[in-house]
Parts: sequence; C-alpha cells; structure tokens
Amino acid sequence: MNKLPLLFLGVFITFASSWLGLVAYPYLTLGNMQPLPDEDTGGYFPPSQSGLAVAGQRVYAANGCVYCHSQQVRLAPLSTDIAKGLGPRQTVARDYLRAQPVFLGTMRTGPDLTNIGARQPDQNWHHKHLYEPQTVTDWSIMPSFRYLYKMQKIQGQPSADAIQGLAGPHAPAPGFEVVPSDDAKALVAYLISLKRNYPLPESPEPPAN
Amino acid sequence: MNPQSLISSFHPANNPDTLASHERAEIDASTRFPVLLFFASAIFWLLIGSLLGLISAWKMTHPGLFDQMAWLTFGRLRPAHLNTVIYGWASAAGIGVGVWLMARLCRVPLLHSKLLISAAIFWNLGVLVGVMGILAGDSRSIEWLEFPGYATPILFIAYAFIGIWAIIMFRFRRPGHVYVSQWYLFAAFLWFPWLYATANILLVWQPIQGSAQGAVNWWFAHNVLGLWFTPIGLASAYYMIPKVIGRPIHSYYLSILGFWSLALFYSWNGMHHLIGGPFPAWMVSASVVASIMMFIPVVTVAINHHMTMRGHFGALKWSPTLRFTVFGAMTYTVVSLQGSSMAIPSLNTLTHFTDYTIGHAHLGLYGFFSMMMFGAMYYIVPRLTGWEWPSANAIRWHFWLVAVGILLMVVSLSIGGILQGLAQFDPQVSFRSSLDYATPFRWIRGLSGFLLLGGHVVFAALFTLMLLKVGRQKEGPALFAAPVKPEAAPL
Amino acid sequence: MTPPTPPPDEGFKENELASDIDVSQVHGSILRERAEPCDGYEPVPLWLITVFFAIIFWAGLYLAYFSGGFRADVFNPDRVAWAGGGPAVAAGPVDPKVLGKRVFTQNCVVCHQTTGLGVAGQFPPLVGSEWVVGGDWHGDNHLVKILLNGLQGPIQVKGAAYNNAMPPWAQLDDEKISAVLTYIRSEWGNSAPAISADYVKKIREASAAQTEPWTQKALQAIPGEKAPDAAAPATAPAAPEAAPAATPAAV
Repeated sequence: MNKLPLLFLGVFITFASSWLGLVAYPYLTLGNMQPLPDEDTGGYFPPSQSGLAVAGQRVYAANGCVYCHSQQVRLAPLSTDIAKGLGPRQTVARDYLRAQPVFLGTMRTGPDLTNIGARQPDQNWHHKHLYEPQTVTDWSIMPSFRYLYKMQKIQGQPSADAIQGLAGPHAPAPGFEVVPSDDAKALVAYLISLKRNYPLPESPEPPAN
Repeated sequence: MNPQSLISSFHPANNPDTLASHERAEIDASTRFPVLLFFASAIFWLLIGSLLGLISAWKMTHPGLFDQMAWLTFGRLRPAHLNTVIYGWASAAGIGVGVWLMARLCRVPLLHSKLLISAAIFWNLGVLVGVMGILAGDSRSIEWLEFPGYATPILFIAYAFIGIWAIIMFRFRRPGHVYVSQWYLFAAFLWFPWLYATANILLVWQPIQGSAQGAVNWWFAHNVLGLWFTPIGLASAYYMIPKVIGRPIHSYYLSILGFWSLALFYSWNGMHHLIGGPFPAWMVSASVVASIMMFIPVVTVAINHHMTMRGHFGALKWSPTLRFTVFGAMTYTVVSLQGSSMAIPSLNTLTHFTDYTIGHAHLGLYGFFSMMMFGAMYYIVPRLTGWEWPSANAIRWHFWLVAVGILLMVVSLSIGGILQGLAQFDPQVSFRSSLDYATPFRWIRGLSGFLLLGGHVVFAALFTLMLLKVGRQKEGPALFAAPVKPEAAPL
Repeated sequence: MTPPTPPPDEGFKENELASDIDVSQVHGSILRERAEPCDGYEPVPLWLITVFFAIIFWAGLYLAYFSGGFRADVFNPDRVAWAGGGPAVAAGPVDPKVLGKRVFTQNCVVCHQTTGLGVAGQFPPLVGSEWVVGGDWHGDNHLVKILLNGLQGPIQVKGAAYNNAMPPWAQLDDEKISAVLTYIRSEWGNSAPAISADYVKKIREASAAQTEPWTQKALQAIPGEKAPDAAAPATAPAAPEAAPAATPAAV
C-alpha cells in the first residue's frame, strides 16, 4: 500500500460509511421529527416546557448531573426498567425533542430521572434534596448543591421561597432561612418537568402481567 | 536460522528502507523541539488529570469532600478529569509520538516545524481554556465533548496545523515501501478532524434535535478511542516491537487485514454505549454486529505482534520500552475482546450503567494507550535530548506503580460493576443495594489512584531531569537488567 | 564505526547531510539502534480466515433478525417488522387497565401520588377510600360525577378532613374515565367492580346541567347508585334510600 491516493480513498470510504449510517441517517430521519398533537388537552407530546425548565437544562448541564443520572427507560428482557417503575414504556426518539442537550446518560450511580417529575412532583422536596441529599436519603452519595442556595436572615416574614423542613448540619439556625437561587429554581422546574408517561404510538406500553 | 544470519539480515545494507545513523541523527534533530514540546505539555496535563481523577474518585465514597464550592463539585471535576486526560495528556503524547514516527518512517527530516510548534501552543491554550471553562460551569455535558464553545475552535485550529503537516510530510516522504505504522498515523490524522468537526457542528453549533444527539455523541466518543488513539497506539507498537528486538513484523498480509478491518468496523461501534436506548433498533443492532466483528482486526493484530515477539519475550526483562509497549499491546487485545463481549445485549444487561464500563474505559485509555505512550517516550526522549535516562530504578518504580495501579483499578471496578449490575437488574432489590455493592470496590479504586499519581510523579521527575540534563552522562541506556544478547541492546 | 553508505536516492541530499552532521554528534542511543522496522511475509493462517467468515455469517443473521426491518420507527429490536407484515405499532384494543394506569399517571399522580395515598392534609388518598370503592352514602354515580365536574370545599375521607379543589376532567372521553376509575378501584388493594364507558356516558348526560364543581353536601343530596356490572346490560338503578349504616359491598 504505497500509494497515497489509494490510502486516502480507502480511509475516506470506510469512515464515510459510518458517518452516513450513524450521523447522516439519524440527522435526516430523527432530526425532522415533530411532536405529536394531544387530542385531549390540545397540547403536544412531548409537552412544551416552561422557560424556567429550559433554563434549568442549562444548570443541569453546568453541574454535570448526567454523570450519575441517566434519562432513558429500556425494554424487557434487556432490562427491568419498566418493572422497577422507572416509566410505563420505553423512551423513544420523540421523547427527547425538547431536550438540549439530550441527557441520556451512561451511568446509574444515582437513579434514572426520566420520570422524576411524576415520582416527586413537590418543589420543596427537590430543594431539600439538592441542598443536602443525605437528610432526605441517608445512604445517598450525591454531593450537596448548597452552593445553589443562599442562607439569609429572616427579614420580618419568612420568604415565600424559603425551603421548608431542612435538617442536618447545614440547616438554618433559628432566625435564618435558606432560599434557592435562580439557578436552583430553574433546575427544580426542569426536574419536575421530567415526565415521559404520555402515550406515543411508536412505543406501546407493554401489557400488564 | 542462526543468530548470525538473522542479525546480518538486519544489517542496514540488506534493508533498503533503513536509515543510516547520521540520517537518523538529522531526522531526530529536526523533530526535537516540537516533539519535546508536545511531550512536556502531555506530561504536565497527565499530572493535573491524575489529580483531578483522584479527587473525583474519592468524592464518590466521601460526597462531603470539597462540597462547598461549585468549582469542585463532582459533576464538574469528573468531566474536567476526562477532558484533561483525553485532550491534554493522551492526544498531546500521541501527537508527539506520531510526529516522531512519521519523520523516521518517511525518512526525511521534519518539514515545517513551525506549524507543529504553533499547533502545540494552540493545543495547550485550548485545553487550558476548556478545562477552566468546565470548572467554571460552562460544561456542555456532552460526554467527551464537554469543552465550552469558546475552547473548541482553538483546538480545531491547532489540529488543522497538524493535519496539514501530516499531509505534507506524507506527500514529500522518501519513495519506497510505506510501512504499516504510516498507514495508521495517516489515517488517524485524517479521521480526527472529521470526527471533531462533525461532532461539534451537530452537537454544539447547530444541534440536531432529539435522541439523534446521543447517536452522534457516541459515534464521536467511541471513534476518538478507535480511530484516533488506537491507530496511534498500534503505530507505535508496530514500530517499537520490531525495532527493539530487531526482527521484521511477522506478516505484511495480517497488517493489511488488521488495518482495513479496523477502518471498516470500528466506526460503527458507537451505539453499543446506548443499547436499549431511544434509537431505531437497526442502529443498535448494527453496532452490536460491528462490535463483534472487531474480533477480526484485534485478533489479527494480536497474532502479528505475538508471532513477531515469539522467542524474544526475554527482552521484556531488560527493555523499558518493550515492557511498556508489550503491556499495552496485550492490554489492547484484552480490552478489545472485553469490549466486544460487553456489546452482546445479554451481557450488556449487567454492565450498562455500572462501574464496569468505567473500568473498561480506563483499561483501554490507560492500560493500552497510556502505557504504549510511556514505552514510546522512553525510546524517543534519549534520541532527542542526547541524554540517557538517569535511573533504571526510577523507571522500574514508574512501571510497577502504574501497572499495579491500573490492574487494581480495573479489577475492582469490574467486580463492583457486575455486582452493581446484578442488583440493578433485579426489580426486587432496592437501588440502595446496588450502591452498597459498589462502594467497597470504589474504595479500592480510590487507592489505586494514589499509585497511578505516584507513578506519574516519578515519570515527570525523570522527564524533567532529562530535559535539564542533570547529573553525569550515563554510559549506555538505562535498562532494567543486563541485556541477554551481548551485542549491544537498544533501549 | 563508519555508517554504511545509504542507497543512492534523488530525494535525499546525501552530500549536504554528510557535511551538516558530524558523526561525533550522533548519540550513542542512535548508534546502537537496530535497523528500521520492516515487514515479513508470512501468510494469513487458514483457521483465522475460517473464523472470520463464520463471524460474518453470524453478523448477517443477527442483522436480519434484530433490526426491526431497518425502520426508523421501530425501537424494539425484538420486533421483527418484516416477518408477517403489519404495522410497527401494536394494533387492537388497549387493555383497559393499561389505559387506566396511563391516564392516572398522566393526570392524577400529581395530587393523588403513584401510591394512591395522596398527601396528608392536602390531597385525599384513594387507597381504601369510601369515595372510590363505595360505602356510607357513596355511590358509583358520585365518583363519576366528581371526575366530570370536579369537587371542592370541605370533605371527609376515611375520617380525615380535606378542603381543596379537584379540577373537572370532562375533557377526557368516556373510555378514558371508565378506564381510570376501573384502575383506581382495583389497584393498591382496592377491590370494586369495573365501571363501563356506557355508564360514564349516561352520567355525563345526566350531569349536563352542572357547571360548578360539586361539594360534598350537594353530592350527598343525590342518592347513591351502583354502576351496572360492566359486562351485563344496564339495569335500573338501586332504590334511592340512602342508608348511612349500610355496609359497603366491598372495601
């Protein structure tokens, strides 16, 4: 193989094959997908996100949540995701239309978050958990995100945003409260928006056993 | 074949493509500054990357460690570690080794060294800006591509210089046989910019929507491993093994088969990181198939290297270069076969989302690629500096610290990962159990990080002493033991 | 040690080279090197070729069976779209429990939770609730009316007081309402008969005049009914006596 043009051609063609199959093809087929209209509510599947949830995606990316948490529900027999209650059906391409970037994840150091908004719809729970995870789940190895929160003296009335029921070593002393920053509020709005339990024709729910 | 005729068959006059010593000297002199610059950068980033990795590892068993500051949260340290070791250490070392190999194999002194020096400066700048960006909170959270948008163009410019240089070098090589290492290097230098540009455009600049991002992301990440690092590592093995023991590579035909089957199959593997994920079934199945087909290039290369080494394994007792290189080459076979097995869906059930994958990744990038780079650097640096490594004992410490470190890490993460996977698979077992199974093995992994960092500190010290030419000039190479054959032994 | 003369080659300026590099500058490390690597020409082993073809054959079979017909809308590798034809999407009626569970998960868990236990003091539980399975004055018609028009004001559920507002769900069709009610009446240990879509339709027509959410008082004024057996034809409603001490059919 002593000829440069031949080597170049071979190197180009072999690589182009995967570029076509794994890049160009998904770009053309999946890249033009549209959300499906929902007859019942007039909305769409996947539902559109509030601006705060979209901002929350940025916070999720900035703090690397994806390195411990996945966001995909897989089918049996490959996995037991559905039996474990991670979601009612397999997540498919359309479910991630609004995601930027798509946080599929490749590690489950912590639980899968595809439907965390359905499992934990309460904002205050999320703020407590992010502030000091071990006070909510004592065996958790999730690090604390209290740098997204502010401890402040209560001025007259407690703030409406103040987190309720904090415990543990960083709980506020009497007369103090912990309020979420804008980043924390956005992140929680994003987490609560994570619900993939609407129906999609390309991902039928497995029959109940 | 008696030793005498074997050696005489290797006499330069009988090998029309070999170089005379003064030619080698001129080529090495021309590569000195750019290659040493890349090596120095690589070793700097190796130290930083090892430290970041060590802290990240301990944060998993001690979540309260450094948890006050946003800059040090696990979600930022871990991608900072990943990008530092990939782009800062491994890529820079690979470029340095690749440049030297290209110059020697093209049998011409380095052309346009200013291009490479500019590339090194831009490359370091890009990595610095990128890593600081991740720690500051601008990570894109796209695995292997976390550098913020203001850092990637800097890397791309650096890379463009290197790609142009590679084409010119190859074009103006001395006519004659093109050796297998040159194919791999040429291909690697061409594939990387295509990968990097496509991934950046489709994931960062004009992101495609939906789960197609996952497909492009893992097409990119797996190909950085398979079409950038693997070819450079194999090019180095194909050079160092026959060079040190003084024998030809076993089979040119196996070299061809290995190269083209790698080129064809490797790039389709990417989706095996996403088995069961939100992709059309055929894409995942294609990747499973390609991952099994990888058996072909991997076994081919293993046979080629093994048959070349056969009868000469004794050289591992005295040659540092060969020891690191053969460690890397054997690990290449093991990690690739491991990877093929992990792609089988029934096994993937147990390994996906667990620490097993992390062990596998480190076995590949460290056990194969980094060890291969250490071996190459031990060979190349004396030829560039005109100084011998000051202490064979120190090299021995480096080898054993990192060899034991990486084996400890991989074994502990593999066992922990399988237990984690078994627990995750059983719906009756709580999530907490999967964590409890993994934790003791994460402790062991954390300890192995100290060994690795220690080995890197030793290596960095040795390299610094070489650059400064400290101490008296040694007579002869720094070898682990006296060479078996009395007629002088190369490093 | 004199270096051997390199083979003559136009591309390499040998004479210039000899004057540039002084042999004494050439390091020991370069002098002791062996020749540059070259290739041997052993043949490819036959067993290796056999193994490769076996792998390629396996690969072809795998792609044939697990690629979902190479369609972009088949995400399950076990679904072989080309064998026997048919659309990639499962056809046929949806299992009402599956539909009911889906409707519940999409709409109701926010307040009543996936466990059906609600939130103490805020959202009433459905588990073992007399409003769901019947009891005291509670009839199946009341349950359907709540879904259609909503419920507000102070109420008593299993002895606990709640005072909140449940929105109406009239926009869900009869099939979905009957499915979700059937689901909550048979889940979490609840055991009450299914409710048919026809019954929901009947109650929807009867409640057409109701524009405000119900209150407990208003519902109590309406006699409780049992829904007809979902499989049996509709029968006349039960006698309108509300008997507070009557034991429920099932709890």
